[in-house]
Amino acid sequence: MKKVFALALAMLMVLSLAVGCGGTGTTGTGTGDSAGEEATGSVYYLNFKPEQDGAWQKLAADYTAKTGVPVTVVTAASGTYETTLGAEIAKDEPPTLFQVNGPNGLKNWVDYCYDLSGSPVAGELTSDSFALKSADGALCGIGYVIESYGIIANKTLLAQAGYAVEDIASFADLKKVAEDITARKDELGFAAFSSTGMDSSSDWRFKTHLANLPIYFEYQADGINSTETIKGDFLDNYRQIFDLYINNSTCAPAELSAKTVDDSRNEFLAGEAVFFQNGSWEYGALTAEGAYTDDDLAMIPIYVGAGDEAKQGLCTGTENYWCVNKNASEADIKATLDFMYWCVTSDEGTAALANEMGFVIPFKGAAESPNLFVKQDAAMTAEGKVPVSWNFTTMPSEEWKNMLGTALTAYAADQSDANWDAVVKAFVDNWAAEYALLNG
Amino acid sequence: MKKQASGLIWTIILSVVSALYLYPIIMVLLNSLKKESAITTAGAFTAPTAETFAGLENYVSALTSQGFGKSLFYSLFITISSVALILLCCSMCAWYISRVNNLLSRMMYLLCAFSMVVPFQMVMFTLSQTADRFRLFFIRFNNPYTICFIYLGFGAGLAVFMFTGFMRSVPIEIEEAAMIDGCSPLQTYFRVVFPILRPTMISVGILETMWVWNDYLLPTLVLDIKKYRTIPMLIQYFRGSYGTVEMGAMMASIMLTVIPVVIIYILGQKHIIKGVLAGAVKG
Amino acid sequence: MEKALRKWFPVFVLPTLAAFIVGFIWPFLQALYLSFCKFTTVDNASWAGFGNYIKALTDDTFSYSFLFTVAFVIVATVLINGIAFMLALVLTRSIRGTNIFRTVFFLPNLIGGIVLGYIWNILINALLSKFALPLIALNTTAGFWGLVVMLCWQQIGYMMIIYIAGLQNVPPELLEASQIDGANRLQTLLRVKLPMVMPSITICLFLTITNCFKLFDQNLSLTGGAPGHDTEMLALNIYNTFYARSGPQWKGIGQAKAVIFSILVVGIALFQLRATRSKEVQQ
Repeated sequence: MKKVFALALAMLMVLSLAVGCGGTGTTGTGTGDSAGEEATGSVYYLNFKPEQDGAWQKLAADYTAKTGVPVTVVTAASGTYETTLGAEIAKDEPPTLFQVNGPNGLKNWVDYCYDLSGSPVAGELTSDSFALKSADGALCGIGYVIESYGIIANKTLLAQAGYAVEDIASFADLKKVAEDITARKDELGFAAFSSTGMDSSSDWRFKTHLANLPIYFEYQADGINSTETIKGDFLDNYRQIFDLYINNSTCAPAELSAKTVDDSRNEFLAGEAVFFQNGSWEYGALTAEGAYTDDDLAMIPIYVGAGDEAKQGLCTGTENYWCVNKNASEADIKATLDFMYWCVTSDEGTAALANEMGFVIPFKGAAESPNLFVKQDAAMTAEGKVPVSWNFTTMPSEEWKNMLGTALTAYAADQSDANWDAVVKAFVDNWAAEYALLNG
Repeated sequence: MKKQASGLIWTIILSVVSALYLYPIIMVLLNSLKKESAITTAGAFTAPTAETFAGLENYVSALTSQGFGKSLFYSLFITISSVALILLCCSMCAWYISRVNNLLSRMMYLLCAFSMVVPFQMVMFTLSQTADRFRLFFIRFNNPYTICFIYLGFGAGLAVFMFTGFMRSVPIEIEEAAMIDGCSPLQTYFRVVFPILRPTMISVGILETMWVWNDYLLPTLVLDIKKYRTIPMLIQYFRGSYGTVEMGAMMASIMLTVIPVVIIYILGQKHIIKGVLAGAVKG
Repeated sequence: MEKALRKWFPVFVLPTLAAFIVGFIWPFLQALYLSFCKFTTVDNASWAGFGNYIKALTDDTFSYSFLFTVAFVIVATVLINGIAFMLALVLTRSIRGTNIFRTVFFLPNLIGGIVLGYIWNILINALLSKFALPLIALNTTAGFWGLVVMLCWQQIGYMMIIYIAGLQNVPPELLEASQIDGANRLQTLLRVKLPMVMPSITICLFLTITNCFKLFDQNLSLTGGAPGHDTEMLALNIYNTFYARSGPQWKGIGQAKAVIFSILVVGIALFQLRATRSKEVQQ
């Protein structure tokens, strides 16, 4: 009896091991919750934009309620997208829908990208410039959102200081206004710029977005779209604007390393600062619960004292490309494509993208955006101003951005030339080094 | 007389040092009672005033908003199930190893000792992949209910090593007598060996509990993050998520993690210290 | 009895063995193999020879983190053991409140690494901003010493307990004899107590050295390696190579780094084992 028991147990163990090892080869992809899901596939979206997490969760729930297709949205904590994607993509149930930030991001993930050529969602694109193609011509990514950023200004406060947005048409103007406000800070009761938050969750506003300007002007001057060796010709302008930010701010430069974009927004909302560098995605937060109306706000271009400032527009472009994981099962890929198509064509989808997330989407069925900043961008372009393109998609790697962010933060705390040299080094030398790694 | 005086001086010195020693925890406790807006980098040292006192507001928001309750349940479940499984399976295995002298026993013993030393980063990637893809029939190991099997595998080293070390110092005669009386090995194990092992069980149990409860990297890599977060994962997530640092809720979460540990420690102090000591001496 | 037990191998050993194979042996072997490959998941590995090792060893951040770790290990080991030993000496004298002090000093040991890191992150930042110094995120010096102080806070209690046990095992006759021989306190300490607690010292040294070497959670949550890679220890460097870098070549390099790291840790352990063995023979 005992022997039989022992033998049976042994068999069970050996069998389970065999099954287990065999299991690694099979392609079970369902969530295992019910058999029905296996047939229809499911969507797992690893979302890049933390500020839109709530809206995506809601949209996903609506879609599931409507179609029965399970959609899971996971948002990586700010600054950890690549880490999370790296860990998740190697799993048995990897994200079916993920994002890359442009051509260089694509180089790292191209092996996972499903060729979207001929898919219905790709057919909805309004322009080919939002299609991200790999070296061998496969359509790997679709830019799904166009955004603008610049310096958001509180018109009401600006008026209290005796100025209007129209007074600011160049870096010199901006500097004059900002320094005047700082000089009268105690009397006015507010500062020029909200804090330049350099916490690692928030420093993207400066290591990526602001850093776009020196790259843009260098590309313009040289007539190129991308380079493996940046010269840093416009870094003095970068320093100029950064100095202006940190020295005319709500707090002492040394405290910036612990400040987040939230702190910065809260200061702006509380009327402690006139200017706030950020993008059209902030519109929702700034107008929520009647904090501000369209009459209070305006976005002005980030002038750095380079190029033809009279013609400079907002920074407009995309760094958000949707990619579908080609290693997902066919059913999941189909479900994912359906979900994407629904998001950009259906009334609910386009409405959510336009209103709740504040996006302008480059698809034919896009709903008109109520976003003030988006409208401003269109108006400026109509006036003949040239939008600054998003060249930070050509930045070599996340590592490059992080090292630049660190150097900038150190410089903010102590504005010495030696520290600025470190910024230049992180900008120029590290660019070449990281490109070498990217291509090697 | 002189001796008493010096004793008193030492007591005073040590009291001051102890107070300093507890200060980091007290500081977090005080800050967790402040209003969100009053928690600033520089103001961490000030106690809450009537104006900034928020009562248990942060605790309520920590418990409700970020799925803390769920995480607490997962953490508790994982810890209890893993430790129970490790104690039972490893003590049985160790009894076999110490009483049966063959190649397998010797190999197991050596490998267990080896696995204690190897850093987790060595197997971090392959273990998470194996855990993610391995299936026992239809059971998967990327959820809190079965992850104990992975913990058994990775935690076996220390437990088997300690149990074997102890069993080797226990005379074999009682067990032999039980077997001669007609007990099967299973009966012998539960009636004779198990009670003998109890003190070591407590030691191993405490060490493994401390490890599993506080473990961050293994569950982060193994668990299905779409659905499950343990408490250390939650706290790590708090900081970066949504670019928002909800300092009040975070401080409250830290306290909610620390308080149960402190209570358990005060209740079971003697065992815990003994357990740690045994672990250290054997290791 | 051995014969009877052998037949029961499936019940006693197999569950642990199966879990051990899944949770350690298989991932370990796979990891070893993958360190010679270019891969992003375990399925798409292609042989790359020693390329990964060459890249790992020529990676500046890796050699930097090695030096940083070694510096950290030396400073932390000396401080932790020195302070713990002194506390143990004081607490083995008859002083009022000894038990309370022991309880307090041991407490931080039970708090998990992630939580610990955040507590100290808040505390150190508050301190730095009081003195108008750059915060920990861009202050390598503060990062280094912050790690040291935090680890001291966590580990001193643990080591102190081991030293206390060691000191209590010194036979009273020996102490009396030395007093009769006219030895003063210092002489008693150096000539009698110290040699007698040598085994405790080796254990503590070993534990602190390996703990410091493998430090991960605390590093991640206290400094996260910031500024840049300046406070990144080996384990965190490996983790970042694995997951924060997204090119297809990085996983292989990370795995190679992990193998080198493991060899280092195992080497230290073997060295330690030999040292302990030779000491035991002398006694």
